[in-house]
Amino acid sequence: MTELDGGDLAIETRGLRKTYRSVRGRSVGVEGLDLRVPVGGVHGFLGPNGSGKTTTIRMLLGLVRPDRGSARIFGHEVPKRLPEVVGRVGAIVESPKFFPAFSARRNLRLLADAIGAPAGRVDAVIDQVGLTGRAKDRYRTYSLGMKQRLAIAATLLKDPDLLIFDEPTNGLDPAGIREIRQTMRGLADQGKTVLVSSHLLAEVEQIADTVSIVARGRLVAAGRVADLIGGGSATRSVRLRVAPQDLTIATSVLETSGLLVRREHDAIVVDGAADAAQVNRALGERGVWVSELAPLQADLESVFLGLTAHETPGGHTHKGDRTRRGGPPPEPAHAATHGPATGADA
Amino acid sequence: MSRLLRVELRRLWARQVTRWACVGVLVLVALSTLAAFGTARPPSDQDVQAAQDAYASELELWEDEGDQWLAECEEGAEAEGASPEEWGCDDMAPRLENYLPPTQTFVPDADQLAMMYGDPEVNAGDDATADAVAEIQGSVWNGWGGLGTLDDVSTLLVLVALVVGVSFVTAEVNSGSMGMWLTFEPRRQRVYWSKAVAAAVGTVPLVLVGFALLVGATYATYASFGTLGDVTGAVWGEVAAFTGRLVVAGSVLAAVGVALGVLLKHAAAAVGVVGVVAWGSLAFGYGLGEAQRWLPTTALTAWLQGGAVFTVEDCAPTADGVFECVPVEHVVTTAQGGLTVLALAVVLTLLAVLVFRRRDVS
Repeated sequence: MTELDGGDLAIETRGLRKTYRSVRGRSVGVEGLDLRVPVGGVHGFLGPNGSGKTTTIRMLLGLVRPDRGSARIFGHEVPKRLPEVVGRVGAIVESPKFFPAFSARRNLRLLADAIGAPAGRVDAVIDQVGLTGRAKDRYRTYSLGMKQRLAIAATLLKDPDLLIFDEPTNGLDPAGIREIRQTMRGLADQGKTVLVSSHLLAEVEQIADTVSIVARGRLVAAGRVADLIGGGSATRSVRLRVAPQDLTIATSVLETSGLLVRREHDAIVVDGAADAAQVNRALGERGVWVSELAPLQADLESVFLGLTAHETPGGHTHKGDRTRRGGPPPEPAHAATHGPATGADA
Repeated sequence: MSRLLRVELRRLWARQVTRWACVGVLVLVALSTLAAFGTARPPSDQDVQAAQDAYASELELWEDEGDQWLAECEEGAEAEGASPEEWGCDDMAPRLENYLPPTQTFVPDADQLAMMYGDPEVNAGDDATADAVAEIQGSVWNGWGGLGTLDDVSTLLVLVALVVGVSFVTAEVNSGSMGMWLTFEPRRQRVYWSKAVAAAVGTVPLVLVGFALLVGATYATYASFGTLGDVTGAVWGEVAAFTGRLVVAGSVLAAVGVALGVLLKHAAAAVGVVGVVAWGSLAFGYGLGEAQRWLPTTALTAWLQGGAVFTVEDCAPTADGVFECVPVEHVVTTAQGGLTVLALAVVLTLLAVLVFRRRDVS
């Protein structure tokens, strides 16, 4: 069981499965996925390319029919009862898709009229995403960033409780990414639930409260970001520096204290400490003074890579040869991890 | 549903394709009017004089040689066991009206129509078919000018409606905006019907105004030359009935366009299928014999023109053992044609609804 089981769930899937037929046979898009997204906050939905994120989102939105399993949004079974809840859901699936020859305002007005939104709502959401000056321009003349902002405006037409953004920062420049990130965080701060799938783990790490990590269509980890990256772990890794002549004695003292010690150039990395103070105290008692002491915390990327590296062909992730930052992924003691061979937890 | 329909209608009329279709219809009207200028003009004095000169020359020859020609004709007929009338021996003398250039009128002249079609061959003893063939071929929609040319042009109008219907959905599929639309309205059946009905209703003004312009411009052209012909209340009644049938056909074909667009997803593929079916029907339909009555082209023609005539070779051995084929005309009535088109539209639409409900949307 995961910590995400507690409380109300905005999204819940059980044993969701989707396969695709092609001339080369059947390929599995999603395999027995159990996804739980709590109400409120930003939930990151992570996974390598082809891991089933977009397929899952499409199934939630009724665009793709699952072969098996069930999905619920705010307790409503989807796609069967999607019409009852669709007014509470705003979504962008992959890249924004509007009518290219229509202006932004006309595109949104058609959508607004389809759901019976008040006329003033269109201009309000256009203003909200900062497109008022270009509202009359044809969609095809928009930059990618403007298209993304328009797509966000479209999702806001309904004033939804749940927003689903599928790779919302794809192709955006740093300023655009930051803008989208702030928008998503702002929406969550207003009490809305935001589900965001992204490759940009650093982005997700900055805004997400909870995450689910999928690989090959299966859930491999889920929980609060802080738990996954080791914030709630019982032990920590610490990097310290001492005077060069004290390196040997410091290593010896720490090993005597029962800690795991390894050398990294002119620094010492200690694994398994309760906290940094334990290390400092042990050395101080033996007259070895520390010039630098820094707790090491794994980031979400290292967790992600650790969980998914062996899930992609050749053992590579979509990040290729990106260098891991920080130390090895800590034990996600407070988060649920799921072995890919056994599937999601029951 | 009505809200969705209103939105789809607004989208239909805001589309560039619809606007280009309007431009296309105006071009069609312009070309048709230009053609009408060529046919509506009565023969000039020079034309008449030249015809009279030719007639006088032929008459002179007939007076010299006519008796001999007549005798030869009668001998020939007798040798074949036919009457001189069957050989046309009684109609050999030159007549001035055969030399004068024909004057096309807005309402086709009955005598000209008789010249065009002659007496149809019909199944022996089938007077009803003979009457139906005569009625269809004698209608105002047959002829070389005026209303007689508008039936073919107006067929293009319903094809424009079909293309508008195809493009209406394929543009959504190809741009991916269908997915966005379904995140706002996930009830697919409603979405489908709103699009199909919007296409059917939204193309009515296009077809209606287009045909009104065609008739109006043609009428004005013939009126300017004083060659309207026998414009009666019955003629306008037939024009009104034709307009109604044309509008219905345009709506049905627009809905068929939506269905084909949903099924094939690409405008070129959908329009290509229609083109191949139409071309195949026209090129190879004759070989289908009686089955020609079920061809979409035959059915549409029958619906629009108040009936259609098709020919089947009736082959049988004669008394002297020779295998002889006689072309025999058959009739598809307006109702039969309309029902065939409607049945085709219903089947395609139901198939498209089924596919649209179950298909994964990207």
